[in-house]
Amino acid sequence: MAADGQSVTVQKVEPSFNPVQDEDLDQYGDELSGLTIVDVDVHVDDTLMFMLDYMDGHFRKRMETVLQADFKGEPGNSLRNMIAHIAWLGSSYDKPPRAKLATKEDLLARMEKGIIDYSILFPSELLPIGYLPEPEWAAALATAYNQYMVDAYNNLDGVKIAIVVAPQHPARAAQEIDSHAAHPDVVSVCVPDVGVNPPIGDEKYWPIFEAAARHDLPISFHGIEALIHDNYPLRVAHFHTLMQVNSMGFPFTSMLQIMSVVCAGIPVRFPNLKFAILEAGLTWMPFIMYRLDAAYLRYRTELPALEKKPSDYIRDWYIGTHELEALPRRGDLAKLIDLYQGQDTTMWASDWPHLERDLIAGFMRYEMDDTLRRKILGENALRFFGLTPRK
Amino acid sequence: MTPEKQSSRSTRSQRKIAVAPLSDFPPGTRMEVKVGRVLIAVFNVDGEFFALFGRCPHQSAPLSRGRLQGTVICNADTCWETQWAHDGEVLVCPGHGMEYNVRSGKAFGYDLKLRTYEVVVEDGQVIIVM
Repeated sequence: MAADGQSVTVQKVEPSFNPVQDEDLDQYGDELSGLTIVDVDVHVDDTLMFMLDYMDGHFRKRMETVLQADFKGEPGNSLRNMIAHIAWLGSSYDKPPRAKLATKEDLLARMEKGIIDYSILFPSELLPIGYLPEPEWAAALATAYNQYMVDAYNNLDGVKIAIVVAPQHPARAAQEIDSHAAHPDVVSVCVPDVGVNPPIGDEKYWPIFEAAARHDLPISFHGIEALIHDNYPLRVAHFHTLMQVNSMGFPFTSMLQIMSVVCAGIPVRFPNLKFAILEAGLTWMPFIMYRLDAAYLRYRTELPALEKKPSDYIRDWYIGTHELEALPRRGDLAKLIDLYQGQDTTMWASDWPHLERDLIAGFMRYEMDDTLRRKILGENALRFFGLTPRK
Repeated sequence: MTPEKQSSRSTRSQRKIAVAPLSDFPPGTRMEVKVGRVLIAVFNVDGEFFALFGRCPHQSAPLSRGRLQGTVICNADTCWETQWAHDGEVLVCPGHGMEYNVRSGKAFGYDLKLRTYEVVVEDGQVIIVM
């Protein structure tokens, strides 16, 4: 006890090499109790080794070969690490704690704190499948991932799954949706949108949207740092550092795909289909909405399927808060959300446990009224994913 | 500033918080001290003690858990050449990697400085002066 009566505690601590246990949840436990909290972007260890048992024939042989690879000490089962290490090996001097993959036990320990009502699991390793050049291989990976996830993570309290599809193989993607849509823990279809060429609104991909609409499963576009590939807008010819790729790659891709989907008239063709964008931040939303509206005045005849202006469609898209931009003033987030009228569509997302994850303190520091905070922390996500309130 | 406020500030600056016996706080170790609601990170770097405000202003991650390493600098002093510098004296936030000079509390690349606290050793005790 200090002389002025304040309590004093001293604890010997060690440097943290493992950011998996986010203690900040405990810090905000009281403030969050009673609120519905849905973390709409959570990742678990889904490295390729888990998929081996879900692959057959020559793809299984191929996976066995992949698993023997070793890139600078990283296990050869990490597609992301293989690619990242070629391009920007050690560029950040291991400065942020390395992204530890969360095991099932890590996830359950986080859920057992009783603060988060739902965690929505999205792929990690398969986020780059959008730019794998071989559609059959990409589709085989997606099939294996989905079966692994519904086997390993089904029937866990508050844990829900977004299945992944390989957009370059729309027919197989539709089959995946048909296969898993009825599973009670499958709540969304994740379309990895980075590197997809042509952009995702192209007619080629419509079987994916048809299948999702058929089963009333919302579509979630989840970005990834593009690392190395050649498709717009993420060519390494233009992004020379990982920081550039990471900060601009996600929103550039998201803007491209939103523009592509809306301009293709997909919201008109599939009026009940819900869309979300994850891991791209928020600040670009007003930009794309009102920039397209301005151009729409002149070029409406290029988009004859649209029945209202672009922002009227984009406003219906849900959007995850991660990676939340560092807005300077505490009132800025509410102002930003008001600009794109996202009070009913913005959803809290942590990206736990990836190294870019947003701690909940990063969201709680912003001032907003209780109604808006409640919507963002959980109510909007309950509606998007069709979840039942638990509190 | 009113005399009352001056007095209050003066009183606060004299507070001494015992952290640990010197023998329990050898070089290479760190302590997390919580005084009321204030978190303070205390480091023994090669026999020198440093105490800083313990939460990263970015997203409040606990800085006592940060690694101490060096960083890359490039400025007029280095003739705009990129150099590795401050080895062992750069506190790296465990949250997202924001870097602070453990001596001064100044953040690298930001116009930002963490509050630092004087650390003294009295009668074999490591003490923070607040």
